[in-house]
Amino acid sequence: MRRPSEWVFRGVVSAHVVAAVGQPVFAGVYLTGDFDGLRWHAVGADVVTSIGLLQLVAAIAVWARLRRAWPFLTTSAVVVAETAQYFAGLNGALWLHVPLGVMTIAALVVQFIAVWRNPLARTENGHA
Amino acid sequence: MREGMSRRRVLGIGGALGLVAATGLSTAAALARRPSMTGAVLRSAVPLPPPFQAPLPIPAVLEPVGDGRYEITQREAVAEILPGLKTPLWTYEGTFPGPTIESRRGRPITVTHRNELPVPTVVHLHGGRTPASSDGYPTDLVLPHGHTASHAMHDPRAVVTTLTRDYTFPLDQRPALLWYHDHRMDFTAPAIWRGLAGLHVVRDDDEDDLGLPAGDRELPLMICDRAFAADGGLAYPALDPALRERPGVHAAYLGGVLGDVILVNGAPWPVHEVDAARYRLRVLNASNARHYELAAVTDDGRPVPLVQIGADQGLLAAPVPHHRLPIAPAERYDVVIDFSQVRPGERVRLINHLGADRTRDVMAFHVTRRAPDDSRVPDVLSTDLPTWRRSEATTVRDFSFRAGHTPHGRGWVIGGLPFDPTRTDVATTLGATEVWRLIADVHHPVHLHLVGFRVLSRGGRPPLPHDAGLKDTVSLRPGEAVEIITRFDGYRGRYLFHCHNAEHEDMGMMANLEIT
Repeated sequence: MRRPSEWVFRGVVSAHVVAAVGQPVFAGVYLTGDFDGLRWHAVGADVVTSIGLLQLVAAIAVWARLRRAWPFLTTSAVVVAETAQYFAGLNGALWLHVPLGVMTIAALVVQFIAVWRNPLARTENGHA
Repeated sequence: MREGMSRRRVLGIGGALGLVAATGLSTAAALARRPSMTGAVLRSAVPLPPPFQAPLPIPAVLEPVGDGRYEITQREAVAEILPGLKTPLWTYEGTFPGPTIESRRGRPITVTHRNELPVPTVVHLHGGRTPASSDGYPTDLVLPHGHTASHAMHDPRAVVTTLTRDYTFPLDQRPALLWYHDHRMDFTAPAIWRGLAGLHVVRDDDEDDLGLPAGDRELPLMICDRAFAADGGLAYPALDPALRERPGVHAAYLGGVLGDVILVNGAPWPVHEVDAARYRLRVLNASNARHYELAAVTDDGRPVPLVQIGADQGLLAAPVPHHRLPIAPAERYDVVIDFSQVRPGERVRLINHLGADRTRDVMAFHVTRRAPDDSRVPDVLSTDLPTWRRSEATTVRDFSFRAGHTPHGRGWVIGGLPFDPTRTDVATTLGATEVWRLIADVHHPVHLHLVGFRVLSRGGRPPLPHDAGLKDTVSLRPGEAVEIITRFDGYRGRYLFHCHNAEHEDMGMMANLEIT
């Protein structure tokens, strides 16, 4: 494998999507009255936020090795959104928590498509 | 394959999605209720008086008619609540709030209620450790003269009386501020709104000996919101204005009815003259749906701490100071406020951080003079609070409080089910210790009859400072979960637990608790 940073980034983005999709699932279970759903949602928040930070590190590697900045820029935006999301959830600011959560997942899905659709590395004959 | 899109198109798509996200979030920020609030405001059709003009009324203390015997007549009356307007009310003994009952721990009393109102009634002593037969089950109606029982919801266990009923309260419980109010099936909210509420104080020697502010320096404050119609009457969006057959409110008010006039002890935004000394405020939120976050501030904006000494079910172990005190419907807080640092002539306003415009004001204290003060707030207030531990609990139950369907249409449900008097929702045994985990979709102040409980956790984290002590009503905020622990002791029988947003309660959000 010649571009390990790309494959690491793809793997982290994929794990990030999977973990993030769990969040609305646990929230829905919680709101049916299942108290454990809240604990899963809280654990999920820690997992998603941690993966987000890992993705930031992987994106820096992509930028350094492959000279691609967009993974870092979009991941930074996602990490900012997830940080806001974390505290909005803790503070019960549902007006922000619910739409921001939907948008964060939408952004992650777009990222997932972008990293798998094309190689991240620049081709031999110039830049996009 | 090389990337199929030009940099310009990528930026265009990214920009468009960013714009959609930003628009979405700012729309949420603009439309959302911040602070969040469950219910809809009913606007008065009459001009509202300026605040801090009306003197604070203190409800009269009810005189016994014999040893431990009281009589209360429920009747219609007319009061001047707003200046120059006549407001017809349903009352206990002709006044709103009703007369205050002063009682002693362990000394039983019997209150004979006589119903001269045009509708059936039920009296519940909120916070009372009361045998089921006197707890005011919603179908245990007291019918007015000439009324035939034709109640929509059939309940074979209902004990219906005509004209009068004796309610016996053993009062074998911690000293506390309780309140009595109507609890009739399907029509509790409009009945309380029309005036059927009064205070009931339980005291004992231990509490008297603490040296807390007393006499004129102990003030009961029953806070509630109302709205007034053009004719001076109380406005209420009932589907059946006669409050006889069809329960419920117009769809816009499904979340609860909020008024635009704040009454304290029945007077709009009143003012009370006080000495520059400590006062004990015994605060009850008797509103149907309105939550408050109380704070005391001087006119130049200095906060005056509210030192909480008691909760719904009596004294805390130790005082807890607050700058802001959230209070949900039916909750009580016992607080000491110290006016000694306020210059005579200054005013201290009690404000509501959850209010907007006029509902931001509650009442004012006008400090008139310096005066000696021998009261105190001891570091140890009580040593008899229950110390139930999770490990003692034999059962853990989960309940979700949320919107749902009822036989009357849209309403509110507990664990997916609307109230049915004939269904036992929780069966437990006398003496059992249980942990209940309560989850809410919007604001739901959850109340258990018969027992007090302690708050174990809120939102998966430790309880908040105002959750201290022994409570009988706990306020769940939107999406919030609370764990409580209690021991079902006292009496066997059929009791209730329910949301104390009175509109939610009327629209299905109650359940039965059978103790055997």
